[in-house]
Amino acid sequence: MRRRCSHLLMLTVFMMLLGGVRALAAPPIPPAPTQWVTDTAGFMSDSARSTLNAKLEAYEQTSKHQVLVWISKSTGDDSLEDWAVRSFQAWKVGRKGLDDGLVLFVFSDDHTVRIEVGYGLEGVATDSATSRVLRETILPKIKAGDHDGAIVGGVDKILALLSPGAASSAAAVAPGAGFGGNAPPAQPMPWYEVLILVLLAVAVLWFAIRHPVFAYFLLSMIGRNSGGGGGGGGFSSGGGRSGGGGASGKW
Amino acid sequence: MVNRSKRPALIVLIVVVLCFLYGIGTYNSLIRLDQQAQSQWAQVENAYQRRLDLVPNLVSTVKGAAAFEKSTYTAVAEVRANAGHVAPSTGAQNDPAKFADYQKSQDNLSSALSRLMVVVEAYPDLKATENFRDLQAQLEGTENRITVERMRFNEAAQGFNSKRDSFPANVIAGLSSARFKDKVYFRADAQAATAPKVSFQP
Repeated sequence: MRRRCSHLLMLTVFMMLLGGVRALAAPPIPPAPTQWVTDTAGFMSDSARSTLNAKLEAYEQTSKHQVLVWISKSTGDDSLEDWAVRSFQAWKVGRKGLDDGLVLFVFSDDHTVRIEVGYGLEGVATDSATSRVLRETILPKIKAGDHDGAIVGGVDKILALLSPGAASSAAAVAPGAGFGGNAPPAQPMPWYEVLILVLLAVAVLWFAIRHPVFAYFLLSMIGRNSGGGGGGGGFSSGGGRSGGGGASGKW
Repeated sequence: MVNRSKRPALIVLIVVVLCFLYGIGTYNSLIRLDQQAQSQWAQVENAYQRRLDLVPNLVSTVKGAAAFEKSTYTAVAEVRANAGHVAPSTGAQNDPAKFADYQKSQDNLSSALSRLMVVVEAYPDLKATENFRDLQAQLEGTENRITVERMRFNEAAQGFNSKRDSFPANVIAGLSSARFKDKVYFRADAQAATAPKVSFQP
């Protein structure tokens, strides 16, 4: 019993060390938000934030696109673009396989804004369109001191870009779905590889017929190296791939 | 169940089969990592192609507004020349020499484009037009995409290379070395490492 306890202790210490090393290796990205609008900098008024949050929740329910607002003080030593793309990936914004998410980042101490667009929405939320949202709506209103108006108005403009109906968003998903689709085809196998595989197949078949239980056990051993990452935050997520599309701005 | 005299043969057989199965697993994960790197390379090519596609529009916009000064003329000509001399990208991810050519030609285009953007600073009228602002946003977005996709390619290449060079995958990869070549990494721009020279001579 005592021995078991010490093993457990060692395991815990080891895990803690591992966690520590990992935390050192990667610059910190906050955990995935559990709300559509997150404001850790006190940038917006509470009422505007909760109204916008409800609006984006409803928007996700009808259109399935996940549009988030993230407001905090600073990206630290990281560049805005780098921080945005890494947190987008870590938070798995949008739906898996479609990557139809979008995040509006605001950093109040850095005085920077960025709209980060998932692969699946690049067709509708283009760089020039998102850049217009920033320079025509968000930045002028922030400069004028109207923080709530900047965020709410900016989100409205963004939703207007995305909303021309479910039909066009399906078309817009195409470039994302084509991710990696134009990779060069694999070269054909040389003859000796084919020979090895054939021999192997015969051996495996024979083995499976003679010792089915053991063969099953071995097969399950090779098959186990697949598996995915864990889930994200409180709400559904699973996409998270953005290719750096969108626009940045400063005030 | 099994005849006693057959037992050693059976053990040998089991060991051989185990090795083969392990080999298959390793081979498959090599293939998977290779495919990941290939598709990420395609993303890098897409991002660069996107930038190349912007060049004609950018050139004509700048020329339309500010073609009559020597500095703009040279900057535009340089962008055009560099855009016309982009080295082929196909297969470059597995071939250090081709890769170096490709990266160098793209870096040359990058610096020609940034010089053009500096020259354009002298034309407030041009900078104020919506058309130019959109182009500028597209160019910035594209440069950012290039950075992101290059970073992801490096990650995918590293994943493949470290698997490929570790035991026992290196033995399997050695069987068909033409197919499992080490991937090449993107390095930081050589010019970015040296501080830009500012000349105050007229």
